[in-house]
Amino acid sequence: MTDSTPHSSSIPASGPAVGQDEWVARHAARRLMPVGPLRTVEERLRIVPWWAWLVLFIAAMSLLPVVESSGYVRRVGFDTVLYMLLALGLNVVVGWGGLLDLGYVAFYGVGAYAYALLDSDKFGVHLPTLVAVPVVVVIGAVVGFLLGLPSRRLTGDYLAIVTLFFLQLFQTVMTNGDSAFGHNLTGGPNGILRIDPLHLFGHDLTVQHQGVFAVSYFYVALGFFAVVFVALRFVNSSRTGRAWRSLREDPLAAEAMGMPVNWLKLMSFSFGAAVAALTGTLFAALNASVFPLTFYFVLLITVYTMVILGGSGSQPGVVAGALIISPLLEMLRDPGKSRIIFFAVLIGGVGLAARRSRTLGVAAAATIAFGFAVHELARAIDASWVSGEKAGGFAGAVDHWVVHPAQLASWIPPVSYIGLIAATLLVTTLHGRLRLVALVPTLYLSAFVWENVMLAKPEPARYIVLGLILIALMILRPNGLLGERRVEIV
Amino acid sequence: MALLELQGVSLAFGGLKVVHDLDLQVEEREIVSVIGPNGAGKTTLFNLITGIYRPQAGDIMLDGASIVGLEPHQISRRGISRTFQTLRLFLNMSVKENVMAAAYGHTRAGIFRSMLRTPGMRREEREIEALAHERLAFFGERLMGYRWDQPAFSLSYANRRRLEIARATATNPRILLLDEPAAGMNPAETHEITELIAKLREDGGYTILVIEHDMHVVEGISDRVVALDHGIKIAEGSFESVATNEKVVEAYLGLNTAATK
Amino acid sequence: MDQFTQLTVDALTLGSVYALIALGYTLIYGVLKLLNFAHGDVFMVGSFIGFGVLQLLGGTDNPVVPVWALLVIITFAAMAGCATLGVVIERFAYRPLRDAPRIAPLISALGVSFFLANSMQLLFGADPRNYNTFDLSNGALYLRGIDIGNVRVPLLRIITIVAAFVLMVLLWFLVNRTRTGKAMRATSFDREAAAMMGIDIDRVIVFTFVLGSALAGAAGVLFAVRVPTTVSIGFVAGLKGFTAAVIGGIGSIPGAMAGGLILGFAESYTQGYVSTKWSDLVVFSILIAFMIFRPQGLLGRPDISKV
Ligand SMILES: Nc1ncnc2c1ncn2[C@@H]1O[C@H](COP(=O)(O)OP(=O)(O)OP(=O)(O)O)[C@@H](O)[C@H]1O
Ligand SMILES: [Mg+2]
Repeated sequence: MTDSTPHSSSIPASGPAVGQDEWVARHAARRLMPVGPLRTVEERLRIVPWWAWLVLFIAAMSLLPVVESSGYVRRVGFDTVLYMLLALGLNVVVGWGGLLDLGYVAFYGVGAYAYALLDSDKFGVHLPTLVAVPVVVVIGAVVGFLLGLPSRRLTGDYLAIVTLFFLQLFQTVMTNGDSAFGHNLTGGPNGILRIDPLHLFGHDLTVQHQGVFAVSYFYVALGFFAVVFVALRFVNSSRTGRAWRSLREDPLAAEAMGMPVNWLKLMSFSFGAAVAALTGTLFAALNASVFPLTFYFVLLITVYTMVILGGSGSQPGVVAGALIISPLLEMLRDPGKSRIIFFAVLIGGVGLAARRSRTLGVAAAATIAFGFAVHELARAIDASWVSGEKAGGFAGAVDHWVVHPAQLASWIPPVSYIGLIAATLLVTTLHGRLRLVALVPTLYLSAFVWENVMLAKPEPARYIVLGLILIALMILRPNGLLGERRVEIV
Repeated sequence: MALLELQGVSLAFGGLKVVHDLDLQVEEREIVSVIGPNGAGKTTLFNLITGIYRPQAGDIMLDGASIVGLEPHQISRRGISRTFQTLRLFLNMSVKENVMAAAYGHTRAGIFRSMLRTPGMRREEREIEALAHERLAFFGERLMGYRWDQPAFSLSYANRRRLEIARATATNPRILLLDEPAAGMNPAETHEITELIAKLREDGGYTILVIEHDMHVVEGISDRVVALDHGIKIAEGSFESVATNEKVVEAYLGLNTAATK
Repeated sequence: MDQFTQLTVDALTLGSVYALIALGYTLIYGVLKLLNFAHGDVFMVGSFIGFGVLQLLGGTDNPVVPVWALLVIITFAAMAGCATLGVVIERFAYRPLRDAPRIAPLISALGVSFFLANSMQLLFGADPRNYNTFDLSNGALYLRGIDIGNVRVPLLRIITIVAAFVLMVLLWFLVNRTRTGKAMRATSFDREAAAMMGIDIDRVIVFTFVLGSALAGAAGVLFAVRVPTTVSIGFVAGLKGFTAAVIGGIGSIPGAMAGGLILGFAESYTQGYVSTKWSDLVVFSILIAFMIFRPQGLLGRPDISKV
C-alpha cells in the first residue's frame, strides 16, 4: 500500500527528513546506536542467534568444575547459578510486569520450606523428587497469586508495601511456627534439618564427595537454569509477554487495548513466585536445612542489585548481574581480594570519570604524592600512626602509602567514615579544577577508610557496597549494563 | 437499530457536571465528529464509552446490549477501540510490538502453550505478525522498514499518532474512537489524516467517532457532527447546520474557527 | 480491667511513635509521590544520635544538665541530625531521579535504606544501646506517675505520649497555618501547577524532608528512652510506620496519626490478649482488609487519574 495523498508522497520516508520533528526523531535514533568499531562488533554479534549464545554460555559454565577442583569455588559457582535463577524470576515481575515485588525472596523461602516439609524427617514425609519439585512450584505460584489478589487494583506503591510486609510476615511465621496451635510446624529459629537430597535417576545426589563439594547439584542447577531461561524467553516473545510489557509501559492503555491488566499482573506475580519457589527446592536440598533468616531483606537487596545492575527487562542482563554480584560478594569477604577490588574500582572509576587522560594523570599523580606526604607526616609526628603496617605483598605496599595505626581510637571510624561521605558528596557538586583539588584528599580518605574501617568488618562493608551500587546505578545508569534504554514521558 | 447508543448518560466530578444527560446514536459505518470548546467533555465521553469511567446515570448500548459496568478490556473485545489525545503508546516497545500487543483480545495461546511453542501457538504468532504488518502498511512507508524494530519513543510526533491508530485497529474493532488524530500535525499531515480516516472506513468497514478541533478536517470527513458544550449536546446534524448554529458559534466565541467556516 | 488500662497505655505509647514515623512517610509521599523506604533507617539513626548526645552530656548516671533539659536536648539533637540526614538523602539520592521512571527513586530508596543500616552497623556494631533512663533522678521517671485504678502510668510514658502529640499539633499548625505549609499542600496537590504559580518546588521538597526526618528523629528518641535500640530496628519500624500511613490514607496528616494509633492498639491488644508472637499477623490482616475494602485508607481521597 502506498500513501494516498500528493503531500505525503513528496515526503520520502527514508530519505533526508523534511520537517523538524522528523529530523529530531532520527537524530535520537542515531544516537542510540554506538558508532565506529563498537557498532560493527555489535552488529556482528547480533547475527548470532540467542540460543547459540545460551548453549555457549551453558557449555562455558559447565567447564567450571572441570577447571576448578576447589570445593569452595564449586560451591560459589552453584550459589551463583541459584542467584541467576532468582534474578530470572524477579525479572519477570520487575523487568516485564513493572511491579515492585519486595516480598520476592519470601517465595524463595516458601519454596525451600515447602520442599523441607515434603521431603524430610520433620513429618516423615518423603515425596519423590520428581513429585515434590512440581508440587513446590505450584505452591509457590498459588501463594504468589493469593498475595497478589488484594493488591490487584493497586499501583506499584501499594503492592510494594503489601509484599514487603509479606516478607516480614514470612519471617514471623517461620520463626514462631514452632508453637503454632500447640504444634511445631516450622522448627522456629532453629529451622528444619535433615532435609532429603534430590533423588534423580535412581540416585540420591550427594553434596559431598570424598569431602569435596560434589558437582551433581551444580549441573542440576544449570539444567534448571537452561529450562527456565528458555521457557521464560518463549513466554516473553508471546502474546502474554507482550501484554506484560505493555502493562509495565502503560496499564491504562493496555487495558483499553483489550488486555486484562489485573489478571496479567497476577500472572506475572505468580510466575516470578514460581521460579523463586523452584530455586528454593534446590537450596533446601543442597543445604539439607533451612532457617528463616536466610530469606530476608539482605537477600532481597542482593537479588535486586543483580537485576538492576544487569538491566531489568533483559534476560542476559540479569544473568550477567548475578554473575558479577555473586562472586563479588564472595571476594569481598576476603581482605586480600577485597583490597585489590577496591583499588581496581577506584582507579577504574576515576579513569572512566576523567574522560581526558591528562586529568586522569594529574589526579593519579597528585593522589599518590599526597598519600606519601601524609604518610611521612604522620610518621614524623607519631610513629604509632603507621604502626599497623604489614610486611610485603600488595597489602604491604599499600601500607607504605595509607596511614594505618595498629590501634584505632574509637572516634576515628565514625569521623573518617562520615567525613568520607561528606567529601564524596561535595566532590560531586564541584566542577572543573576545584573538583580535581577536592578529589585528591577524598580518594586518599577513601583508601584510609577502606583499609582501617571497612576491611576490619567485611560483613557490613560488603552490604554497604551493594547499597552504593544500587544508588549509583539508579542515578548514573538506570538501565543497567545490558538493559534497553528506557524513557518515560509522564 | 443504531450500533452504538447512549441514553441520558451523565457524569460529574465532584460538583462539576462534565457530561450531562447525553443522548447519542451512531449508525453502522458512519463517521461522526464530536466538536466543542476545550473542557466540553469530549474526551470524557470517550472515556465513558470505553469503560474507563462509569456513567452515574444513563445507559450505553452496543448493538442493543448494555456495556455499562464492563471492564475496559471487555469493552475492547466487544469491538470498541480508541486512540488517546495525550498519546499513550508503549514507548519502550518496538513499533511492531505495539501493534502486536493489541491483538491480545482476539488471540488464544496461553502461557504454557507459549512456553512449549506448540505448532498452534506458532501459527497464531505468524498471524499476529501478519496482522501487524497489514495495519502498519496502511500508513504507507511511514511505519515500515527499519522503523518496525525501533522503539516507539524514537518516532516523531505525527508517526506516534499514526501508530496509535494502527494499534487501535489491531484489536479488530467495529467502532473506532479517535481523539484529536490531527492534533500537533502540520497542514500537509493534517490533510493526509483527513483522507486516511475516510480510507479507514472504506478498507476496514469501521464505524468512526472522531474528536477534532480542526474544522477543515471535520468538514472533510463527517457524515454528522455533534457539538458539546459543558457536557451538554448543543447541536447535531450536518457540518453546515452545526457550524452555523447560533449556540455553537456562541460556545466558540473568541475562537473564530467556527465563525469563519 | 487493670490489664486493659495497661495495654491501652502501651498502645498509646507505641501508637504515637508509629504515628510520628507515619507522618514522615505521608508528608514525603504527599509532595514527591515517593515511598521513602529509607525513612525507617532515619528513625534508627535518630535513636543513635540521641544516645550519642546523651553520652556527651554525661550519660544518665551523671548528667551535667537537669533531667528535663537532658530530654529536650537529646530530642532536639536527634531532630536536627535527622533533618540534615534527610536533606542530604533527598539532595543526592532522590533529586537526580525526580524525572526518572517511577520505579527508579523507589529502588534508590531501597539502596539508601540498606546503606544506612549497614553503615551504622559498621561504625557502631550490632550491640543494643540502652539509654538507662531508670538511672535519672533515682528512677523517678518510672516510679512516679499518674494512677488509673490500680495501674500507675509512669511519668516517662506520659512524657513520651504528650511529646508526640505536641509535635503532631505543631506539624498540623505548620502545614495548615503557614505560608510554607500552604505551598506544601499546593505542591502535593499538583506539582506542576504549583511551580507555575511561582512556588519554589525544590525548597518545598527540602522543607518536607526536614519536617518528616525531624519527626522520625524525635520518634527515634521517644522510642529509645524506653527500649534499647539497635542498628536493625529501622526495617521493622519503617514497615510499621509505612503501613500506618497507608491504613490512614497516604498523603493525609490526620490519617497518619489515626493509622499509627490503630497499629499501636492492634499490636498491644493482640500481644496482651492473644499472644506476643502473632501481632504482625494481625497488623498484616488489617492492611489486607484495607487494601480490599478501602484502598484509599481511612482518610485518604480516592485517586482519580485524568486520562
Ligand atoms: N478525572 C477527572 N477529575 C476531575 N475532573 C476531570 C477529570 N477528567 C476530566 N475532568 C474535567 O472535565 C472537563 C472535561 O474534560 P475533557 O477532557 O472531557 O474535555 P475535552 O472536551 O476533551 O477538552 P479538550 O478539547 O481540551 O481535550 C474538564 O473541565 C476537565 O478538567
Ligand atoms: Mg480532550
